[in-house]
Amino acid sequence: MVVDVKTRETSEVETEQLATGCEAIAEAIRLADVDVMAAYPIRPYDGVMQAAAKLIANGKMDVEYIVADGEHSQFEIVKHACAVGSRVFVGSSGVGWFYAFEAIAVTAGLRLPVVAICGNRALDDPGAFGTEHNDSLAVRDLGWLLPWAETAQEALDLALMAWRVGEDRRVSLPVAIGLDGAFLTHSQHIVKIPTQAAVQRFLPKFDLGDRLLHPDNPITIAPQVDQDWLMEIRRQNDHAMRQALGVIREAHADFKTIFGRGGDSPFLDEFMTEDAEVVVIGQGTLSLPMKVAIRRLRKEGHKVGLVRLKWFRPFPTEEVVRSLGRFKAIGVVDRDYSFGSPFYGGVLYNEIRSALYSQASRPAIVGFIAGLGGREIEQPMATEIFEKTEAAARTGLPAGDVCHWIGVRE
Amino acid sequence: MTAKALAAATGIDYREHLRLPMMPHILCPGCGHGIVLKALLRAIRSLDLDWDRLAFVAGIGCSSRLVGYIDGCTLHTTHGRALTFATGLKLARPDLTVVVITGDGDGLAIGGNHLIHAARRDVDLACLLLNNETYGMTGGQVAPTTVPGSVSTTTPRGATEPPFDACALVTAAGASFVARGATSLPLELDTLIAAAIAHRGFSFVEIESDCPEYFGRYNRLGRAPEMLQQQRRRFDEVDETLAAKRFVGAPPHAGVPRLRTGVLHERKT
Ligand code: SF4
Repeated sequence: MVVDVKTRETSEVETEQLATGCEAIAEAIRLADVDVMAAYPIRPYDGVMQAAAKLIANGKMDVEYIVADGEHSQFEIVKHACAVGSRVFVGSSGVGWFYAFEAIAVTAGLRLPVVAICGNRALDDPGAFGTEHNDSLAVRDLGWLLPWAETAQEALDLALMAWRVGEDRRVSLPVAIGLDGAFLTHSQHIVKIPTQAAVQRFLPKFDLGDRLLHPDNPITIAPQVDQDWLMEIRRQNDHAMRQALGVIREAHADFKTIFGRGGDSPFLDEFMTEDAEVVVIGQGTLSLPMKVAIRRLRKEGHKVGLVRLKWFRPFPTEEVVRSLGRFKAIGVVDRDYSFGSPFYGGVLYNEIRSALYSQASRPAIVGFIAGLGGREIEQPMATEIFEKTEAAARTGLPAGDVCHWIGVRE
Repeated sequence: MTAKALAAATGIDYREHLRLPMMPHILCPGCGHGIVLKALLRAIRSLDLDWDRLAFVAGIGCSSRLVGYIDGCTLHTTHGRALTFATGLKLARPDLTVVVITGDGDGLAIGGNHLIHAARRDVDLACLLLNNETYGMTGGQVAPTTVPGSVSTTTPRGATEPPFDACALVTAAGASFVARGATSLPLELDTLIAAAIAHRGFSFVEIESDCPEYFGRYNRLGRAPEMLQQQRRRFDEVDETLAAKRFVGAPPHAGVPRLRTGVLHERKT
């Protein structure tokens, strides 16, 4: 197939372009008319830095762009730019993300709608550049919204959603979009790039309102409250996270109306699930090898499917329970680990298990840890995942280990 | 260094001190860091140091990668933190000679704070900062040493911020030995590195080391030999008086060396 790599007009609202996940994010930064972005090089996130710098140099984007002296200052810079009313973008990967952790925690505490990407990368040590989700997942309890993208298109779309949802006054929380390192950050896809006018219809201007830090609006942010008020403020964050579910639904509906994309559910993407008895669930680019396996296994008569989780925080419990409750068995594939956790499963495994606990009839849930550090999930591994899940559907969960490491040399 | 020592040093078989199973190394053809590695090995040879009492500590980046190839006691640490690891090591094992290898991104950006404090405390470490004006390992982004106007992947239209003068910075912070060397002057580099290691207190050598792959390519500076020649021209003059003499009548600045190599500051402790 010959791919036309040149940008071409396809409709009133968009053009098409060949772009990597990182380049798609840079386009989103341009379209959202971001005011301030801060960067510091680390693979694989740094693809966004270069793509954004190119847009600026080519006169296509106007943004205050600073290459900071490290990730910690990078996240501090945007946090404060956001507090004074700027729309901001930032990001990192792996250990860089962890170096910024103090600022990351405070950003959520302050309810500042910073939008970031985490180009998912294994944490040191030992060193690896490939994807692993523990960097993003480390912030899961702090009040960051955590969507995960499957394709470059979804990366762009989720970024626009991120500003819209994060900056909504009912939410006012930061968002970190997970992009699988290399598999998504650096692989090219055809991406539909919306027009600025269409984006403006979807994404209102950022307005902090009475929370804007400005000499004319003397307010205190980040006060020392001690035990007097801390719980009340935490409770507000909890409330904001609850509100976020509804705000995401609204934004998703508007997104579909304006751009005609986004699927049926804002939270789940289902593949061949109508008559499926057994499904796997996971996040990000995991779906690609899984879809190949599903097509192949279906030809052999297996009723298998895939559910992809698009938002990890807020966790769409209602949708997950409704969807997964229909199946006989579920295989949860984690591209992460949670050492010493219940059943020694991954993070997602334990969340899914917890979400389904109160259901009267529960499918059997098998956990899988696979593809760590960017290891490819090859077809025999995908087959093994489905075989083990199907076995659980037939005979129930085996005694002993219910979580398996896939494709690992023992 | 005596002529005899120099002769002995240049007669070195580098392979004795390299981890040959790690070859081929990851440095690009023409990278200046290989020149520094060889100068470091020659300097150690000239000092006749006991390899079991010698430790090399590095951060993250192309320059820091050098410790992976030295067949000795090496620590490849986290980005920017080489000096803190080295300080801990020196406190626990004061008998060790500790050499830190860092780069301009590692040592002046993300680890800049540690650099000034190591200098202020005058910790007995020898710190080699390999300056190539860019982040090579991550693809050639702008660094805090990039000269204004230079092209990088994050400054396609040229850098705009003023760069650090690393030697002036650590001198002001309190380092007791400060020198500047260059890969285009490799034998002087041996002497400077040896003097830095022999010095008691915080010794700092900034080494101009070219990155032909990114900085050279983006700034159309030619390949490694051309870059070395240009670098050499910048350091050609031994002092400004001589430079001024030679370029009488030349327009202001022309021919005046932008940077001086050699020992720039020394305080015996
Ligand atoms: S990228 Fe530059 S600094 Fe790094 S090894 Fe290559 S030439 Fe050397």
